[in-house]
Amino acid sequence: MPAGSIFESFFATQGFALFEFLGDGEFRLIGTWPNWCQSMWGDFPANQQNIRIGDVSPFLENFLFDAEQFWNSKGSGSANSGNWTERDSGGREIPLEASAYLLDGTRLLIVRNLSETFDQQQELFQTARDSLLVYEKLLREIQKKEILLHCIVHDLTQPLSAMNSVFHLLEREHLPAQLKKYVKTGERESQRQELMIRGILEAFSSDLAAQNSAQEKTGESPDLADCAQRAVREFSTAFRDHDVRLRFDPRVKKSADWRVPGDAARLDRIFGNLLENAMRYSPKGTTVTVGVEDERGFVLAFVDDEGPGLPKDQAESQLFALFSKGKSHSGKAGLGLYFCKITVERWGGTIGAQTRAQGGSRFWFRLPRAEKIVAASHSAHMKKTAPPETHHEKQKPAKRLRILVADDADINRELVAELLQKRGHIAIGVADGREAVAELEKHDFDVLLIDEEMPNMTGLQATQAIRQREAGTTRHQIIIGFSGHATEEDERKFRDAGMDAILSKPVNMQRLYQVLESASAGANLLPRTSHVAAGGATSGATETISQRAALGESLAASNAIAHLNRSTGGNLKLMNSLASILLADAPKALARMGRAIAQNDAAELAAAAHLLKGSLAIFGASKAVESARSLEAMGRAVNLREAPLEFRALETEFAQLRTELAPLTKKNKLNKMPKAKIRRKTKPAAKRRKR
Amino acid sequence: MIQKKVCMLGSFSVGKTSLVRRFVDSIFDDKYHTTIGVKVDKKIVKTNGEDVTLVLWDIHGEDVYQKMRMSYLRGMSGYLLVADGTRRQTLEDALSLNERVVQEFGKIPSFLLLNKCDLRDQWEIEPSQESKLIGAGWNVFQTSAKTGDAVEKVFLQLAQAALDK
Repeated sequence: MPAGSIFESFFATQGFALFEFLGDGEFRLIGTWPNWCQSMWGDFPANQQNIRIGDVSPFLENFLFDAEQFWNSKGSGSANSGNWTERDSGGREIPLEASAYLLDGTRLLIVRNLSETFDQQQELFQTARDSLLVYEKLLREIQKKEILLHCIVHDLTQPLSAMNSVFHLLEREHLPAQLKKYVKTGERESQRQELMIRGILEAFSSDLAAQNSAQEKTGESPDLADCAQRAVREFSTAFRDHDVRLRFDPRVKKSADWRVPGDAARLDRIFGNLLENAMRYSPKGTTVTVGVEDERGFVLAFVDDEGPGLPKDQAESQLFALFSKGKSHSGKAGLGLYFCKITVERWGGTIGAQTRAQGGSRFWFRLPRAEKIVAASHSAHMKKTAPPETHHEKQKPAKRLRILVADDADINRELVAELLQKRGHIAIGVADGREAVAELEKHDFDVLLIDEEMPNMTGLQATQAIRQREAGTTRHQIIIGFSGHATEEDERKFRDAGMDAILSKPVNMQRLYQVLESASAGANLLPRTSHVAAGGATSGATETISQRAALGESLAASNAIAHLNRSTGGNLKLMNSLASILLADAPKALARMGRAIAQNDAAELAAAAHLLKGSLAIFGASKAVESARSLEAMGRAVNLREAPLEFRALETEFAQLRTELAPLTKKNKLNKMPKAKIRRKTKPAAKRRKR
Repeated sequence: MIQKKVCMLGSFSVGKTSLVRRFVDSIFDDKYHTTIGVKVDKKIVKTNGEDVTLVLWDIHGEDVYQKMRMSYLRGMSGYLLVADGTRRQTLEDALSLNERVVQEFGKIPSFLLLNKCDLRDQWEIEPSQESKLIGAGWNVFQTSAKTGDAVEKVFLQLAQAALDK
């Protein structure tokens, strides 16, 4: 037997079919036409030496493009088709693989039957993918449990918050000393229980839920560069195992002051999460650099890698979203970056990621410098035993402030004014920007608290008018805006217009006090873009979007009265009053919106929805707020196509809210309406309604 | 006879192979058998009174172990983008895969299949999300290889769309 024939026979028995490419789709069969070829593609063409292989197998037809490219390139090695499966005449699946070679100018195509080895490969992939499926399922279960746990704990903390408020109110009464002691004990124990529940939450849900609702307990100012270096030390072994170099940026001046608000343990965790993320996406042999930079009053921390950069199909905001994870599925449950985001934002900072121009990605977060917080905060006794927020709330303000409240929604104005008066300040209400400007011309106010959107003159326009009037003088009216909007762009607009700080709706009592008093205490010290905190706590004057989101999340699960109870500090009279105003005003607003939709009046719909949205937010009616917000957006976009549907949803939500508020209004009828607590400069109709 | 190449695309374990088996052989196997590489199958269908051979390329689901070769899609006349309605992530993966396909090959007749619609209690795709997809121009079908729901229909409609192109 000639040597060539031996090789050909050997190849055939090993499951190979050999062909020489002749050009124009024609192949010459080398050796015999194997049985498996025959069972798939039929007999070899009778009386012919050549075959058009692309005609018998669509897969090979496709592969020939790549094979020809390879042969034409005259390169070494081979071109491989990857596995494919075709069925033979008996319906059996035959796994195959094709390769193109160039040997001494001969263009060879080898098709191989993989039946012998395929099962093993199949088993390997099967096991790997089964494991991935189990892993995915497990993650989903964990997520469900996280959410359930969050809801349960949220529900558990709700009554405790109310109890705290009740104790707080009782403490202000002139109680006998013994009774006061009991109240103090009750308050302390309810706070302790709240902390314990949050502790359980943190233990179980590891990252997120505790962050959503936890009070800040920190008064320390850790050094961010120290935290970064510590993280580098802790992670260097793990990185080495991955063949990735981890280093602390040598350009960082270690002697500089890198102190920021927050607590070191959580900062360590943020760095840890960012480093785990970097390690996951860093190719072998690359370097990850951790460092800090000074950024005009802020400290910027960064983790730079030399990986593939950010995924193009994923928005930056998605990276930090809850349960978001990379497309490769190699991440964990999608909690790590979310934890970083909510923690950083809770401390008045921002977080982000970008693809670097030189390749790789940069994950960064920015925190205000600690000295800013110190400048705006008060004495050392704030840092003693009790949690700072509670302490701050209890503490009387250093100065009784005159505050002008401008809001076109009666209900909002009343709530804010009541809270301020309860705190010992003087609050005057006006219904729009023009009235606010006029009032400021006549009287001095320490602070103007102004809504964004109002008829006649908006909060932004009023702020610009006031700033223009101040130009060339040493005067600086403190202006704090509040808004239901939720974009960073809006916040930027506010600051550019000249506002000193921004509060989001619905109004949170403690935050309102903190921001107002910090701002007024600092007066001219307050930089326009700074984050002010009080009492050693680190909350920002400018509330961040995620804080709002977190708040919104908690509202979703709350019932209106419980929410109101919390917002008003348990002031039943105020709760009655607010509920009455809403129940009187909302049906009118809904009728107005219904008419606007019927008449296709987009501007009217936007205006009415905006007003109602603000009112609904006070009651924590998140779904109703969302519907009103959508309707407002439709109105602004002059696209009312889906407005009727959304409007019906809003009506349903309002009906639900009305039912929830029924106990309050019943009580209200028995006790009669509470007397008004706010002086209103104009709009007598609003006054009448309050009485 | 006219031949049309149709590709099945989507993540692993969304049911691409099961859909083909249901369509070609009218059978369903509850056990998951992962696909390695490509499975090529054929079925003759009647479209506009004419016989058309659908050459079905059932391409493995992309994951960390196997990346899809774009060259497999060369010459296709249409494709079915398959997601598992009980695994939300697979829809995101499918849409992101689609972006790559469109970028490489332009607009080609395609339908989006939300498969496993027999598993209603585990369904993770919100109706609003489905509406958005329809709003974005997708032909969306809820299918089940297990019960056969909409399976025949989508292949025939895709054959029609491929012929009309």
